[in-house]
Amino acid sequence: MRRIALVLLAASSLLPAVMASAATRPRYGGILRVALRAAPTTLDPADLYQSDSPTRSNLSRLMFDTLVTLDSRGRPQPSLATSWQAEPGNQRWHFYLRPNVSFHDGTALTSDAVAASLRAANPNWKVFPTGDAVVIESDAPDADLPAQLALARNGIAKRDGRLLGTGPFAIADWQPGKMLTLAARDDYWGGRSFVDSVVIEMGKSYRDQMISLDLGKVDLIEVASGQARQAAAENRRIESSAPLELMCLLFTRAPQSSEEGRLRQALALSIDRASLNSVLLQGSGEVSGGLLPDWLTGYGFLFPAEVNLPQARQLRADLHQASPWTLGYDSADPLEGLIAERIALNARDVGIVLQLTSSNSPDVRLVRVPLASLDSGVALKMIAQALGIPFPALAGNSVHDLYVAENGLLESQRVIPLLYVRVAVGIGPTVRNWSARPDGIWPVQDVWLGAERP
Amino acid sequence: MTSRSHNAVYNAPIPPMLISPSRWLRVTCLLLAALLLTSPVAGAADWTGPEEQLAGKIAAVTGPGAIAFDITNRSSLSKAEVDDIRRGLLLQFALLGLHVVNAEQAAATIQVSLSEDLRSYVWVAEIHQGTNQPVVEMTSMPRPETPQVARETAGLTLRKTPLWTQEARILDAAVVDTDPAHLIVLDPNQVSLYRLQDSRWQPEQSLPITHSRSWPRDPRGRLLLRHDHLFDAYLPGVFCRSSAAAPLTLNCYPSDDPWPLGSDQFNLSAFFTPARNFFTGALAPGLGKQTTAPAFYSAALLPREKYTLGLFVAVDGELHLLDGMTDRAAGKLGWGSDIAGVKSNCGSGWQVLATRSGEGPNDSVRAYEFPDREPVAVSQPVDFVGSITALWAEAAGNSAIAVSHNAETGRYEAYRLSITCGQ
Repeated sequence: MRRIALVLLAASSLLPAVMASAATRPRYGGILRVALRAAPTTLDPADLYQSDSPTRSNLSRLMFDTLVTLDSRGRPQPSLATSWQAEPGNQRWHFYLRPNVSFHDGTALTSDAVAASLRAANPNWKVFPTGDAVVIESDAPDADLPAQLALARNGIAKRDGRLLGTGPFAIADWQPGKMLTLAARDDYWGGRSFVDSVVIEMGKSYRDQMISLDLGKVDLIEVASGQARQAAAENRRIESSAPLELMCLLFTRAPQSSEEGRLRQALALSIDRASLNSVLLQGSGEVSGGLLPDWLTGYGFLFPAEVNLPQARQLRADLHQASPWTLGYDSADPLEGLIAERIALNARDVGIVLQLTSSNSPDVRLVRVPLASLDSGVALKMIAQALGIPFPALAGNSVHDLYVAENGLLESQRVIPLLYVRVAVGIGPTVRNWSARPDGIWPVQDVWLGAERP
Repeated sequence: MTSRSHNAVYNAPIPPMLISPSRWLRVTCLLLAALLLTSPVAGAADWTGPEEQLAGKIAAVTGPGAIAFDITNRSSLSKAEVDDIRRGLLLQFALLGLHVVNAEQAAATIQVSLSEDLRSYVWVAEIHQGTNQPVVEMTSMPRPETPQVARETAGLTLRKTPLWTQEARILDAAVVDTDPAHLIVLDPNQVSLYRLQDSRWQPEQSLPITHSRSWPRDPRGRLLLRHDHLFDAYLPGVFCRSSAAAPLTLNCYPSDDPWPLGSDQFNLSAFFTPARNFFTGALAPGLGKQTTAPAFYSAALLPREKYTLGLFVAVDGELHLLDGMTDRAAGKLGWGSDIAGVKSNCGSGWQVLATRSGEGPNDSVRAYEFPDREPVAVSQPVDFVGSITALWAEAAGNSAIAVSHNAETGRYEAYRLSITCGQ
């Protein structure tokens, strides 16, 4: 039996990487005011009907701990579970729970509660409580299970009338879709957060958020893709993640013929991703021919992303007359509209007609898929799930096995990757110790508020 | 752990004018050598394993014969390392019957890309044979954390001697001047003892710190060497006392006892807030007639002819001067949260070491004197890579321990800071 997490590692993980902002120790107190574009109507981490965006994931992590977390290099670290072990075959896993952890109502975290929470989030899992541990069984070997448990959707929640977590902040007031007020827990197992509370206004447009930041009414806002550079040039404090939101074209169905497959290939070769990035996104992304970003896998360069008009025209010329495709996008997002228009122009250059539509059933849709994990295997699974493409069984855990799986997903010709986009936030002048992570997770627990500008 | 009963008075006052220069140099060199030898400075890596693996996979596709070969670096590897890997792969090719020729004569063309992901080096071989689709083979190996950059001290007066580095947060450290020397490192989970042997700190014993309540998010702790036993450790809401002789034991229990301020010669302690990162301001027994100060992060004590001047960095960033009678706010001097008083026998005899923001995320420490209640800088700043997370006067008073969180490596580094005259 393989013991994975070390006790020392478990203990040391309790301590956050509080890096005092330049010689000044963190101060306690204050309200962190946040504005968001999203307007979730439920906070349940297991609710899969709401967008699995980085913002929602960040919200969830304020209230709900997971059994495992991932560090900035994607390595599983103890959280509510202090250690874990897999039985031979990686189908049955034991996760040992941290003692002396309580929910927001003061009741103790138990293996029964953890098992119930994980079953609610993963109806296909077999989860059993056993003393101070939970056992998770899967139908197939699952070496990535610890990393899967680090997903925000696997946050541990108690759902007995009220929604309760074990996280650093407890819900003080919740007006669905409008306002959320969170209070720091003095008895949090990982140490009390520095700020006393977090107040989150929801449903605010990017423009309204920026105005609020400029007026000093909020401390943390989202910044629209493509606006980060300009916002920083205007002397705002902007922090960006690594490129972690995939923008791609998703076909509603698999190609019905080899000709259609070649037409899709021609479309992929016609798109000038570099111009999309430099012009429309102001350089805030990275072109990508793969589903996972190159910085996460190291092999992304193997998937071509360059425009190749001669080859695209040749492919198109070899085909019979093709009927136009409809291209759908989020009409509420001006950036997506511009990108869709540019793609349609690129396609027209090689003789492919794309008609923009806001209907719910286009032939192909411009979609954004967040990178859900810094574990590349889990991230690819989640992308496939979000796109509705069956995930091929991995032959093993090597990087080559991952490449083969990703290649298989691309060969389905259901999806044409375009870009990976950074997620940016604007930060007020009194916010200290904001240490950006590559996965865009907000370090709210480590943030403190200074009385004056640094 | 050996007993401290003979010449083992920890860090006895060793002002440079009294200490033998050769001994000072020896200790400093030993400490420096110990750090350098135990730190994970990347040396020449052995790439033989991955070279064999990748060459073997390539040969399995092409079979023996003539190949064209090129290599591209897409990773953080240096040019020298890439050249090493190129030579290694060529050697492996030769052993496997692959002969590198120019592209026109080759039956297969091999393009190797040296890439990396978050955790690993990823080496990718694209194998082109005729008009077939290229075959892709890969191998990967763990990639070390960013190598630590060894830095020399730059100050002329304030000396910075590296002691120890580790991934876990260091709260405090102490050097026991026994023969051989010992190093004690306090982190939130344990006290670790190391013995200096062959210029390396060799692990000798680890003593876990038992505690029932969780630590605050900015945990602090202080380690003080004692005469009747080896050391005491003060942590938020917890006190630990070691035994006197080997094998050492550590007895930790919940405690709200005040933490000693300054060095051994001052009989002044202060109460620490167990769930926060500052002192409440209550002093025991007090400074002159004053038993309270504003809530503060750190303090430095400077003996005067008739009184002791206490400097307190309050949680609002302001420096307060307490002389036993009055509390005078000296304003915000641009200092950081941590200060420590150090006895040097230079200048007025006592200096205050104060943290300060440096360039970007880096901090520095500088020595000051208070000739007339206004600070005067008396040393050049000593720079640190990253932020300073702890600064404590050592028990003997003639040096301080500074801990920094290296922004480049993510590791914590403990240094001894001492002041020398006339340099």
